[in-house]
Amino acid sequence: MASSGGDDQVPPGGPVTFSTRVIDAGSTIMQRRLPVKQMNCHVSTFAIYGSDMFRQIETHHYVHRVNDEFLQCAVYASDRSDAPLIGIEYVISDRLYESLPQDEQKLWHSHAYEVKSGSWAYPRLPEVVAAPELKNMAKTYGKFWCTWQIDRGDKLPMGAPELMMSPQGAGQGVLRPELVKRRDEKYNISTDELKDKRAEIAEPEWINPMADYWKQHGKCFVLDIMTVEMNRNAQFP
Amino acid sequence: MASSDERPGAYPARNGAENQPPGDPETMKTVMIDKGAAMMQSLKPIKQMSLHLCSFACYGHDPSRQIEVNFYVHRLNQDFLQCAVYDSNSSKTHLIGVEYIVSERLFEALSPEEQKLWHSHDYEIQTGLLVTPRVPELVAKTELQNIAKTYGKFWCTWQTDRGDKLPLGAPSLMVSPQDVNMGKIKPGLLKKRDDEYGISTESLKASRVDIMGPERKNPMADYWVHHGKGLAVDIVETEMKKLAPFP
Repeated sequence: MASSGGDDQVPPGGPVTFSTRVIDAGSTIMQRRLPVKQMNCHVSTFAIYGSDMFRQIETHHYVHRVNDEFLQCAVYASDRSDAPLIGIEYVISDRLYESLPQDEQKLWHSHAYEVKSGSWAYPRLPEVVAAPELKNMAKTYGKFWCTWQIDRGDKLPMGAPELMMSPQGAGQGVLRPELVKRRDEKYNISTDELKDKRAEIAEPEWINPMADYWKQHGKCFVLDIMTVEMNRNAQFP
Repeated sequence: MASSDERPGAYPARNGAENQPPGDPETMKTVMIDKGAAMMQSLKPIKQMSLHLCSFACYGHDPSRQIEVNFYVHRLNQDFLQCAVYDSNSSKTHLIGVEYIVSERLFEALSPEEQKLWHSHDYEIQTGLLVTPRVPELVAKTELQNIAKTYGKFWCTWQTDRGDKLPLGAPSLMVSPQDVNMGKIKPGLLKKRDDEYGISTESLKASRVDIMGPERKNPMADYWVHHGKGLAVDIVETEMKKLAPFP
């Protein structure tokens, strides 16, 4: 848990003192941490910045399946114990997605390509165990806010969150081969082989054109932080 | 387009009696992968979230909108913590955001534009609003003293308090309780939390009198308190960066 110290690292900071270690050990025993224990599945995949699709990143999703139509994921930059927490992704079934207003749908991306191409992978899990989940995932949509842009060198989380997009089979959604290769070597897997194994996973009959908005509209969404008059239910200050 | 307070319109995901995302409970098949994964995968980053804190947060564009929050904290080093934030501590809870926490030293090195997005923690600790469930105060003391001097940045990605059954719209920038009218936590909200955890915020105050905030509280933090304006987040549709044709 303690890092080696110094300001070059991400994030900068000194090694953890003894007294802070004590509380961590104590709390691990005494607290239940139920919600965190539900994130019990690790997925290795990739994401692309919606506003600059040249920027592609490897991500590590720690997934909590809330029910058969909804997942919530803490997303990290690596699978190590010192991994920076870089964002949150929510995943919903196509049925839930269709119930969203159009303006909301534009913020989501599809998963069919990501699953079928083998990008979305479960490290150390045999495909046969993952198979039912993959069939489900292929029909889902995701919404991923990245809150820490490690890839551009930020040592601390800066600025507003960025809306992320998923890998796709064409245009700016195509992943750079070296990014995939690096991931494959780390986990001793082959994305191409996964793709072959997943040939039988059904494509969704239809992917909503509001998803992966960039594909058909050539535009993206960015966040703007503005100062505003606060709603005042009470006297200020 | 939708700003952080605007409701994106009536649709099934906003109504209904239960505050759960729609969907059936897990089928047998999906349970299998969870069990398989739990056995075979290492889940290292998740296991580092070793501390549970419970406190309150307010919406940055409207601090009178307040929520109870549960942080699961991972201390990366002496100057930095990262937290997954939930709206409750049960297993049926919603992952509603991310908070980052930095020491005074790291905060002072940020640009003023960045500092505006952060909030201080001393008030909520000194007043007993922030608690460490099931960890005795004596054990928690050192960590509380540390966090009291820090600044946090909290993006809320799911507004369950307004009834959203799915995460809608833009993330909201959240702020911390403060010693001003709008920043004081509503008694009803506080009582509900205290009853649930069997604690008394009032009596915690007494044990925290010697906890100090930052050496010099930076006036760019808690921007709304010093400048009288909130911070809202809007989604803007815009041109993408164009690439040369690929491959």
